[in-house]
Parts: sequence; structure tokens; C-alpha cells
Amino acid sequence: MVAIDPTIITNILLIAISGTLICIAVHFIPVGGAPAAMAQATGIGTGTVELAAGSGLVGLITASYMYANEPTASMVLVLAAGAMGSMVMLASTMFAGSLIYAFGVGVPFASAQIKKDPITGTRQDIYMSKGTQGQGLPTVCFVSGIIGAALGGAGGGLIYYVLVKLYSQSVLIGPSAAAVAGVFTMGVFYVNAVIPSYGVGGTIEGFHDPKFRRVLPKDAFTSFVVSMICGVVAVMIGGGLI
Amino acid sequence: MVLDLTMSMAILALMGALATIAGCLEDLESDVGSQSNPNSQVQLAPQMGFLHRIYNKAISGEPISNGLSAVTGGTVTAVLLSAKFYPLTAIVIGALIAAFIYGIYATTSYAGRVASQTRFKQPLYMDIMRYTTPSIIAHNFIVNFCLVAIAYIQYEILGYPFTIPFLALIWGISVGAIGSSVGDVHYGAEREFQNREFGCGLNTALSGRIVRKAESGLRNSIDNVWFCAKFGGPATGIGLGLTVFFSSWPTTLFGYTWNAIGVGVLIVAVMVVLNRLVEINVKNAYGPYKEEKNEKEVKA
Repeated sequence: MVAIDPTIITNILLIAISGTLICIAVHFIPVGGAPAAMAQATGIGTGTVELAAGSGLVGLITASYMYANEPTASMVLVLAAGAMGSMVMLASTMFAGSLIYAFGVGVPFASAQIKKDPITGTRQDIYMSKGTQGQGLPTVCFVSGIIGAALGGAGGGLIYYVLVKLYSQSVLIGPSAAAVAGVFTMGVFYVNAVIPSYGVGGTIEGFHDPKFRRVLPKDAFTSFVVSMICGVVAVMIGGGLI
Repeated sequence: MVLDLTMSMAILALMGALATIAGCLEDLESDVGSQSNPNSQVQLAPQMGFLHRIYNKAISGEPISNGLSAVTGGTVTAVLLSAKFYPLTAIVIGALIAAFIYGIYATTSYAGRVASQTRFKQPLYMDIMRYTTPSIIAHNFIVNFCLVAIAYIQYEILGYPFTIPFLALIWGISVGAIGSSVGDVHYGAEREFQNREFGCGLNTALSGRIVRKAESGLRNSIDNVWFCAKFGGPATGIGLGLTVFFSSWPTTLFGYTWNAIGVGVLIVAVMVVLNRLVEINVKNAYGPYKEEKNEKEVKA
């Protein structure tokens, strides 16, 4: 029987956890898809995959730069750098989007899923335009998005941290460890951004949306399994095909 | 390369400016070519009997098409740099080649989409294709130039671990995600339905019933980009500019420490407060659509 190095198993598990974090993150991000782009639904007017990947990849840049400048940095600091980059990207995007909803389209922000904003206590239903599913980005959605971005950025940072350490020891891809780790992180990001988009069905408002509780466990489990397979592949890349 | 604080801040400011221009132009390019979510209305209009003269491209989702364009520019630039080209020349040539490739995609996409709508009698206007496609290429060239320049600065000057094409790809995906989330709302929710009362909220029953008359004559995509350049484009630029600037500013100033992370979180907290202020402002300005039940009872 071939003995498996415990470090390999830890690495695979860490990648599986990272993927699950990204998957959970997507559920927090308030995306309204095409209807939100016409101010017919609450959230950001784009798709789940595009936004989660966009913010997560900015987190990947900040995490990789942190690791490149502080190779002795703790894993938590690299993850925090990733989370910060993602949060800044999503906060900037949501804030700029709010400016458009407020002053370009002229619609008051309203969530269709709750009667009152749990954070500010503001009534939502009376601000909802007829024939729509809400519009704009109420505070609860904004905060939910920030939490999601933090989780996604940390997840991306964790994959990068694990892989860059693993690949830098490889004889085959050692000199290009950062590049290979970066590309693989992007791949795992897309995989785990796509899985939840089936569950949420294109739109979700954030943690206050009933859909959140309904689909999160299934999506997270699926993501864990798929990410574990990705982890196995990632570990095998370091050793080459032979 | 080791930089002092002043130089680091100057580089960061330059990157922020480049990102702002890239964000703005990316959104305007998606308006002049009609891409992403609002294009669903342009696509739907002929099916509702609303034939139009608007360019209908939508190569793919904005992040993917801009990522493709930026990575093409970054790859050509990297090749030219390895052949000892002057950096600015390499970036310009890289951006130009990527923009031409993008133009090919735009043309085939427009022709293909309109061809698929033959049964709805939507014509393919050759004059629209002739004078809108160069505008798409021009906008895309500036986006590519800015993004590849950011990638070059990050790789060559700041020493990021990723290569120029990969950094350009990431920024291309990000600029597309921001453009799709911010500026497209101005195009989709306001410009396409400008004949409705401002702030009325867009009933889903209105889907596909886009405005086809311009300030003068029939509306085309050049009219749309003229309108969106007033707000949607600049707001997208602010979005990407803030992202590039504030994702690096804390570490530039406070080093690679927990202090920098704390400052980053503080910036995000400020944005949450700003968003809340905008929310209060807009609710006070426009008021609720429906009157509260209590108020109705009082009136009765």
C-alpha cells in the first residue's frame, strides 16, 4: 500500500475549503443579473460568476503581492490581504452603481425579499416600484456583498498561498510557481462561481434572501467535492505527468 | 525596483488615473456597441415589433470579452518587449492589435445576431456597421492601452509576481465586471427607456419596448454613447479607479502589515456609510411609490 504524505492531504483539503469559501461568498453577493441592469431587481446589474470572479481576482492580485513582498507573512495575513482587495473592489463597484441608481435612474433603493432592512430598519416594500422585484442596493445588500467579497478574496488567497508554496518546491514548475498558482486559482475561482449560479438561479439579494438558506448547504457541499477534485489535480500538476 | 514613498504614490496615482480612463472607456465601448445585460432589450425589441438602428454586438459577457482583449494586448506587448521594443511602442502596438481583433468579433457578432432575427424583419444596416465599428475599435484600443499599461507598471516597476498578460487578463475581467455592474445600468435602465417618466421604475412588462427616436432623427448607438458619456461612463471610471487606487494605497503607505489591512477595512466601512447616505438622500428626494396604509386610513 502506498503511503500518502499528510501534507498532500492537508493541501487538498485546504483547496477544498477555499473553494467552498468562494462558493459561500457568491451567495452573499447581491446580484440581480439582467433585470437589475434595467432597475427591475435588487442588486448589482450583472451575473454572479462575472462579479464574484472580478472581485475575487482583485483579491488574488493583492494577496499575491503581499506574499511576494512578505514571504514570511502568516497565512492569515495573506488571506486578509486577499479579502481586503476583494472588499475594496466590490465596495467601489456597489457604491458607483448606487450613484447610477440614485442620480442616473432616479429610483429609491428597495429590497423585494424583506419588509424592513434588518440593519437600518428602513421600510422596503413602500419604495418598491410596480412590476419590479425591487431596485438599487439597500444597506443590507451592500453589507452582505462586502461579507461575500471578504470570503471570496480570502478563499482565493488561501488557494494561492497553498499552491505557490507547493509549486515553488517543484523541480518542473518551480521557477514559474507564482504564475501557475495564479492561473490555477483563477480556474478554481470560476468553477466555484459557476456552481452556485445554478442554485441561486441568476439572482440573489444576499444573506437575508430566503433563497440563501435554501440553496447554500447543497451548493457548499457540491463545491467542497468539486474543489477537492481540483485540489487533487493541483497537487498532481506539481509533480508533472510522469 | 525599490521606490521611495513619493515615487510609489506617484506611480499609484498614475495607475489610478489609467484605471479611471479604462473604466470610463470600457463602459462607453459597451454602450456604443451595445453589450452585456442592456443588450437583451436591444435583442428583444424586434421580437416585440420594435425595429431599430442600434448596433447589437454582445460578443460575450463584458468581463470575458474585455479579458480576452486585454490578454491579447498584454501577450503582444510581452512578445514585443522581449524583442527589445521601447515599452510605450510595445504597449501601443499590443493594444492596437487587440482592438482590431475585437473589431472583428464585433462585426461578426453584429452580423450574426441580426441574421438570426430575419424572421422579425430586423434589417442589418451597413451604414451603422461602417461608422460604429471604428468607434468600438477606438474605445477598445484606449481600454487595452490603459490596462496593459497598468499591467506593465505592476510587473516591471512594482514587481508583482504575475506576468503582464495575466495581470492584463485580471484587470480586463475586473473592468468588464465593473462596467457591467455600474455604467450599464445608466444605459439599460435610463437611456433605453428614456420616454418613461424619470424615476418611475421600469415595469417588466415594458421589456423590449426601447426608445428608437433620437434627439434628432432615428436613434443609433452613437446617440447612446453621447448620453452615457455624461454619467454612466465616468461613474464606471470612478469604480475602477477607486478599486485600483484603494486596493494598493494601504500597503503602499503602511507596508505589508495588519495596519494596512485595517486601513483597507476602514475604507470599505466609509463606503458603506456613503452608500447609506446616498440611500437616505434618494429616498427623501423621490419618496415612496406606495403610500403607507396608515396614511391612507388617515386620509379616508
